[in-house]
Amino acid sequence: MRPLNSPALTRRAMLVSATLAAPLLTAGPALAAANVAESFVDDNIHKGLNILSDKKLTLTQRRDQFETLLLGLVDVRRIALFTLGQYRRSAPPDDVEAFVNAFKNYAAAAYQSYFSKYTDQTLKVTGSTKRNDTDYIVQTLLVDPNSSQPPAEVDFRVRTDTGKPVLVDVAYQGIWLSLEQRDQFVAFLGQNNGNVRTLIAHLSELAVNLAKPT
Amino acid sequence: MSGCATAPASPEALAANDPYEQTNRDMLKFNAKVDKYFVIPTVGLYFLLVPEGGRRGVHNFLGNLSLPTIFVNDMMQGELSRAGKSMWRLVINSTIGLGGFFDPAAKIGIPGHGEDFGQTLAVWGANEGPYLVLPFFGPSNPRDATGLVVDTAIDPTNQIHIKQHLWWAAGREYFTLLDLRAQTYQTVRGIQRNSVDYYSSLRNFYRQFRNEQIRNGRKQTEDLPDF
Repeated sequence: MRPLNSPALTRRAMLVSATLAAPLLTAGPALAAANVAESFVDDNIHKGLNILSDKKLTLTQRRDQFETLLLGLVDVRRIALFTLGQYRRSAPPDDVEAFVNAFKNYAAAAYQSYFSKYTDQTLKVTGSTKRNDTDYIVQTLLVDPNSSQPPAEVDFRVRTDTGKPVLVDVAYQGIWLSLEQRDQFVAFLGQNNGNVRTLIAHLSELAVNLAKPT
Repeated sequence: MSGCATAPASPEALAANDPYEQTNRDMLKFNAKVDKYFVIPTVGLYFLLVPEGGRRGVHNFLGNLSLPTIFVNDMMQGELSRAGKSMWRLVINSTIGLGGFFDPAAKIGIPGHGEDFGQTLAVWGANEGPYLVLPFFGPSNPRDATGLVVDTAIDPTNQIHIKQHLWWAAGREYFTLLDLRAQTYQTVRGIQRNSVDYYSSLRNFYRQFRNEQIRNGRKQTEDLPDF
């Protein structure tokens, strides 16, 4: 019988290992980036849900903590500019900057309103899809322990082109939020002669209303 | 409606494939009134009088009645595995599930799915056409409106000739509406509360929702815009 540490066997084992590992080595950076996107979603969405379900926090504390977390995770500026559609190019730069700020407040209130419905549920990352080297869709399931309904599919779009992962969109059961917001804002601007200031006023009002307890 | 005789469609409406936007907005207002004065009060009464278990039973029963239509559409789309599931759900829930009031099929791993002729037309390559808001039925398009008519025509329960057929059909439609509104009440309120423009928000939700249904949940991320 050949000893286990014979040079021939070791060489063959190394060859086999190298052959098997080759695809993994090639896919290494892509897999690592996908894992970064998945971990980013896994860690931070749980943090967000924990803040929203923390009964010890006052309403103001909860809102402030959630907003701080959210603004650190979400590339609000990128989303805001996207949702302006064609009006981004035609609006005065000062109005665009004012819109980005108004959108920030609106997004914080709207996201809090969306996610506060799911605080009793658990989120499980199930995988991710790579659109390109810096664009990933992380798939998750939202499981409600008190419901007989199948878990809801929630996808998060994560971009890594700025050097760190940032969230740019979220889809509930296949419906992407930023696409829906862009359609709304463009339609609103179309009905208001493309006046971004009218949209800013409307968004600010909406943010105040959303922040009120229901 | 008034929109038919008003100004031509705006560039935004044309870009959104919604050339009848003003008419559609008027129709949405009309539907909102029907909803407010006729549907919501009965939904409230329904919640008050029928406990959650009973409402689930009604939901299951109505879903079971739709299974033959779903099966036919599964077959027309070449989705044989899903057609098999629809058939098994119909057999199991109609018998062990006591006429469909219970859903034992889901408990043994055969969950329900929706399918309709609008989706079948999409699978066959038909374009959706311009956005429409139908009276009473809400968001639609020519493809889905055609689907609605065909589904009604092929539904075997509509072929059963009973003396009180009209009452049966009206009752079924009424409970379908009640069930749908009871299921979507919170979601619709959420959209209304978060919207800058409820009309265009609903239009976008409808289109994305239908595309997701047509894909049968299969992920398609390559069409997403780059930003």
